[in-house]
Amino acid sequence: MAEKSRKSPVHLSYQQKKSLYGYGFISLWLVGTVIFFLVPLVKSLAYSFSDVSIGTGHTALKFAGLKKYLYVLGEDEYYTRYLSSTLTETLWKTPLILIFSLFIAVILNQKFKGRALARAVFFLPVIIATGPVYPIITGDIARTGNSGAQQFSTLFSTDLVGGLLQFLGLYGISDSMGSYISGIADNIFGIVWNSGIQIIVFLAGLQNIPPSAREAAQVEGATAWEYFWKITFPFVSPYIVANLIFTVIDSFRSPTNDVMRRIHDMGSDWRFGEASAMAWIYFSIILAAVGLVTFVVNRLIYYEVD
Amino acid sequence: MSDITASQVRRRKAADAVWRVFRFVILTGLGFVILYPLIYMVSCAFRQRIDMNDPTVLWIPRHPTLDIIRETMDAMDIWNTLKNTLLLNIGCSLVQVLSCAVTGYGFARFSFKGKKFLFGIVIMMILVPTQVIALPLYMQFRFFGFGKFSINLIDSFATMYLPAITANGISSGLMILLFRQFFRGLPRELEDAAYIDGCGPFMTFVRVMAPNAASAFLTVFLFSVVWYWNDYYVSATFFTNTRTIALMLQNLDTELKIRLFNSAAVEISPREQIVWKEAGCLLSITPMLVMYAFLQKHFTEGIERSGIVG
Repeated sequence: MAEKSRKSPVHLSYQQKKSLYGYGFISLWLVGTVIFFLVPLVKSLAYSFSDVSIGTGHTALKFAGLKKYLYVLGEDEYYTRYLSSTLTETLWKTPLILIFSLFIAVILNQKFKGRALARAVFFLPVIIATGPVYPIITGDIARTGNSGAQQFSTLFSTDLVGGLLQFLGLYGISDSMGSYISGIADNIFGIVWNSGIQIIVFLAGLQNIPPSAREAAQVEGATAWEYFWKITFPFVSPYIVANLIFTVIDSFRSPTNDVMRRIHDMGSDWRFGEASAMAWIYFSIILAAVGLVTFVVNRLIYYEVD
Repeated sequence: MSDITASQVRRRKAADAVWRVFRFVILTGLGFVILYPLIYMVSCAFRQRIDMNDPTVLWIPRHPTLDIIRETMDAMDIWNTLKNTLLLNIGCSLVQVLSCAVTGYGFARFSFKGKKFLFGIVIMMILVPTQVIALPLYMQFRFFGFGKFSINLIDSFATMYLPAITANGISSGLMILLFRQFFRGLPRELEDAAYIDGCGPFMTFVRVMAPNAASAFLTVFLFSVVWYWNDYYVSATFFTNTRTIALMLQNLDTELKIRLFNSAAVEISPREQIVWKEAGCLLSITPMLVMYAFLQKHFTEGIERSGIVG
């Protein structure tokens, strides 16, 4: 068999043929990814360990060990500060975005008048939030005091939340908890505007719940609360993983975050070594975060489905 | 017994009514948070700048005008910019949908050596921030080729089209993943029938699989258009002269400064400059809004059917 195919390469087995076709289908991407992704990736790693000088013609690299990394972490006045602020922001915003988008998806999955309109409105950020418009509108709204922006922010802000907590008699609530809650209220804009895709994905998950499960719950007389935890949540949990990973990546990769801008500025200064070192530290953290999240959540999900 | 059920029914009805009110309040409140910037944009773009300093003007301009829009269109060189954006961004997004579909299909339906490893690269493409590879990529386009035989591609459309053609452009990793998930969900019988009829794999893909994936194509295409339209990072890296909508909006400040703000005759406070900026925002999202208005449900349909996590 092996001999035969060596003699006449035209007669490949069905399996071999199919795998050749497979390579055929991905070949275009493979060529591109080597040129436009893998080579630059390796080069940028090399930059981060080198003194980079850009002359006429090509870039010249001189091995510099960990110098750039030490500089970036130890001496650059902005990098570590931006790094920690971006990390903490991702850390507290991600769960909020997930809870919020699941909540909205559950509502948008119910039947009511004007549902199509409500869906259209809540998906709207998807087409705007990635572009240059978003930073401009958030900046402008913050800058103008009187024209509605203030009413709007006070509507959701500390006063209201504080008042509500007092009204509920939660005087004893700790300060940090209180500031966390009002922090959420102040950032409601950012959360709502960054939940578009997540709502879409959750909605897709909710629509995968088989009608039989719903009927069974109804026959058993489950309350809405029980229904959510016993039916909705298990069915949606794989989508939570997908959304979790997406949210983390999305907030890390956004060109508006401080670390990204610092890296860009360094690059514009032609300090390729430092910029690449910054980018690689940042990227390792992303990888570690996504890996950790996937690992932990996969274990949780496994037990839940079981 | 019947008493209990009656009271239960009553209680459930009351809970339903409360929930309906609550739902309405939540949806309108949060809907307002989303629509607020858009309303603000429209309100600002059609008022004269003196209205910005008038505390009695909230939403309805006291001095409505079309001048601001006209001046902003002028500053953005809107028709040329639009033409560039169509040729570059929309063209790229179209090409990339096709290349990603072919790649995704290859990953979905064929088994070959190293497939897991190669798909790992696709996942890496999703994870790696553009900033990590932007600098070497820039140098690569600056001296494209081998050794002495290199050409400068910076400022040419090739910097965007070459990656798009080879499924390596903006967010291409995500798009390949979407297509792979979708094609995996289609029944195998479809292809087998075509193979038996003597169709080659590529013709099978074009004639049988692609038509069945129409909704996935549309969804990915819409996202692709949005991502390319909104991109300013990649295009800012590779272009110094070419102007797209997103780049022009980024540079609107400078452009306006040259044209309007720096003239000695008028003094315009940063607060008043908002009217032009909001007008610029409005101009740059209007095409997307129009597209969204017509095709809104397709944004979701493809994702629902793809079973993206399956």
